[in-house]
Amino acid sequence: MKKALLSTILLLMTVLILPHIISPFMVYLSTEILVFAIFAMSLGLIMGFGGMPSLGHCAQFGLGAYTVAILSEYTANIYLLLGAAILISLCFSLVTGYIAIRNKGVFFLMITLAFTQVLFLITSRMKFWGGNDGYSASVTANFGFGEITSNIGLFYMMGFFFVLTYFLLKLFVNAPAGKVLKGMMENEGRMIALGYNPKTYKMFAYLIAGSMAGLAGGLYIYKTQFVSPALFSVHMGAEVMIMVFIGGMGTIFGPALGAGAFVFLQNYISTMTDRWPLILGLLFIAIVLLKRGGILHLIQFVSTFGLKLFKSSRNAPVDKQVKGKEQAS
Amino acid sequence: MTLLKIEDLNKSFKALHILKGVNIEVNKGERHVIIGPNGAGKTTLFNCIYGTLPLSSGKVYLAGKRIDHIPSFKRTEKGMGRTFQKNNLFEELTVEENVRLAIMGKKKYRLNMIKPMQNYNDLAEECHRLLEEWEMTERRTVLVKELSYGEQRLLEIILSLSTNPEIILLDEPTSGMSPTETSRFVKLIKKIPDHITLVIIEHDMEVVFSLANKITVLHHGTAMMTASPEEIRGNQMIQEIYFGGGALSHD
Repeated sequence: MKKALLSTILLLMTVLILPHIISPFMVYLSTEILVFAIFAMSLGLIMGFGGMPSLGHCAQFGLGAYTVAILSEYTANIYLLLGAAILISLCFSLVTGYIAIRNKGVFFLMITLAFTQVLFLITSRMKFWGGNDGYSASVTANFGFGEITSNIGLFYMMGFFFVLTYFLLKLFVNAPAGKVLKGMMENEGRMIALGYNPKTYKMFAYLIAGSMAGLAGGLYIYKTQFVSPALFSVHMGAEVMIMVFIGGMGTIFGPALGAGAFVFLQNYISTMTDRWPLILGLLFIAIVLLKRGGILHLIQFVSTFGLKLFKSSRNAPVDKQVKGKEQAS
Repeated sequence: MTLLKIEDLNKSFKALHILKGVNIEVNKGERHVIIGPNGAGKTTLFNCIYGTLPLSSGKVYLAGKRIDHIPSFKRTEKGMGRTFQKNNLFEELTVEENVRLAIMGKKKYRLNMIKPMQNYNDLAEECHRLLEEWEMTERRTVLVKELSYGEQRLLEIILSLSTNPEIILLDEPTSGMSPTETSRFVKLIKKIPDHITLVIIEHDMEVVFSLANKITVLHHGTAMMTASPEEIRGNQMIQEIYFGGGALSHD
């Protein structure tokens, strides 16, 4: 609890300070990163803690986006809009989850992909809402204290939801339900023998991840003002999966880092070369081949290694060294 | 009092008929050992009793109630625990975390999503008591994959005990152990309180005769005979099919 609170406060401070030290373009870019961070963290929950690799997690994201875009014609109340986005993606998760969680591994992957493809086809034929060309919405965020129009305002808005999501996920994985979920991923047979119903916990995680992705989708509209069936494409589903991978699976913050790296590479390196997917691809291959986890794991490894070096160079007494090692591990 | 009753249990995998009408009754508090040559269907029988495999036909009763149609995890709620022939633990977690997960299975707050797991005092106390009782307190922060084989076997039993079972199915508890480890382990199994009924699959005859007060011989998928250890020892037919007509020693 203390740890979760501490890291959340640290994250909150970073979000508060960041826009004042980076360039306006980076603020603009970071807003997108924060949205995708929420999205990637939600997938990271079911992939890294539940062993459910969903290639169709963009379905909930896209549904959230479409919900806000379509309903914004009728209301501008952001609470209602985001609430609806969460609700719709929750309902979708309820139906698809019921079928999907009965499967494991590749089958889970294919089934979630199939659901997304259905949405892709439906939305691309929905002429009324733009069909293949997509649908422009004009939404302005207003939480009751003025309209948020500036880039920094949007950044703070996404930042708030990002920190909130992070905190909730952090609580979840340390609470009994999260521990049971992890146990289920490690050894389902044993969990059943201990009296746990695997479906309950998987469904729980799937619903949480789904509604968080819906929230992220809803927020996404406030930045892009545009939805299209591309949100439901395989591409999108794979992209967010790659974010989780390169960030570090099995951690909460890792996928967020992955989202950052991904969006950064996509936008920054593409100004230098058109071949940015090549660099991303190489990074992805390296991470999969090394099998040591993602960026976050690398940071953890370097920091513990550095700490050890620092401790031993100070020629500390033996008992202190042992203590340091314990803390590091 | 009959606690576990298996009635005319059949199990086949397509054309392969593994269990052919098995009838076993286990009384409360009994140490009921199931013996039989390799391929007799012992582990299949356990999987059928526990619900890991669906039955082809037959009935299983626990304390007079039919349980063969309910899922495995509900059988655990009803007081049935099991261990596995091969260690089946959470290798990446510590001993303590393993035990806590096991104890939490019967707690109402197992679905709580907010309060961190280590903040539940009753959970910590129960875990501590259990580890103390089985002399594993010193090893509580060790990752399970770093435990010795014998310790892992013991943890299997601790985990099944922590669900508060009335009956435990022990699938070859001493498999893969050295003779010294085995004899120490038998002492530990004897420590399991008398009110908990044990059904044990075992190959090691020394272990069988030091634990059992009832033995069932499973042969070609049928329960040939259920009797006291003395009767089994004296039965000529059993000697022949199981011990090859030789002495009671085991390799």
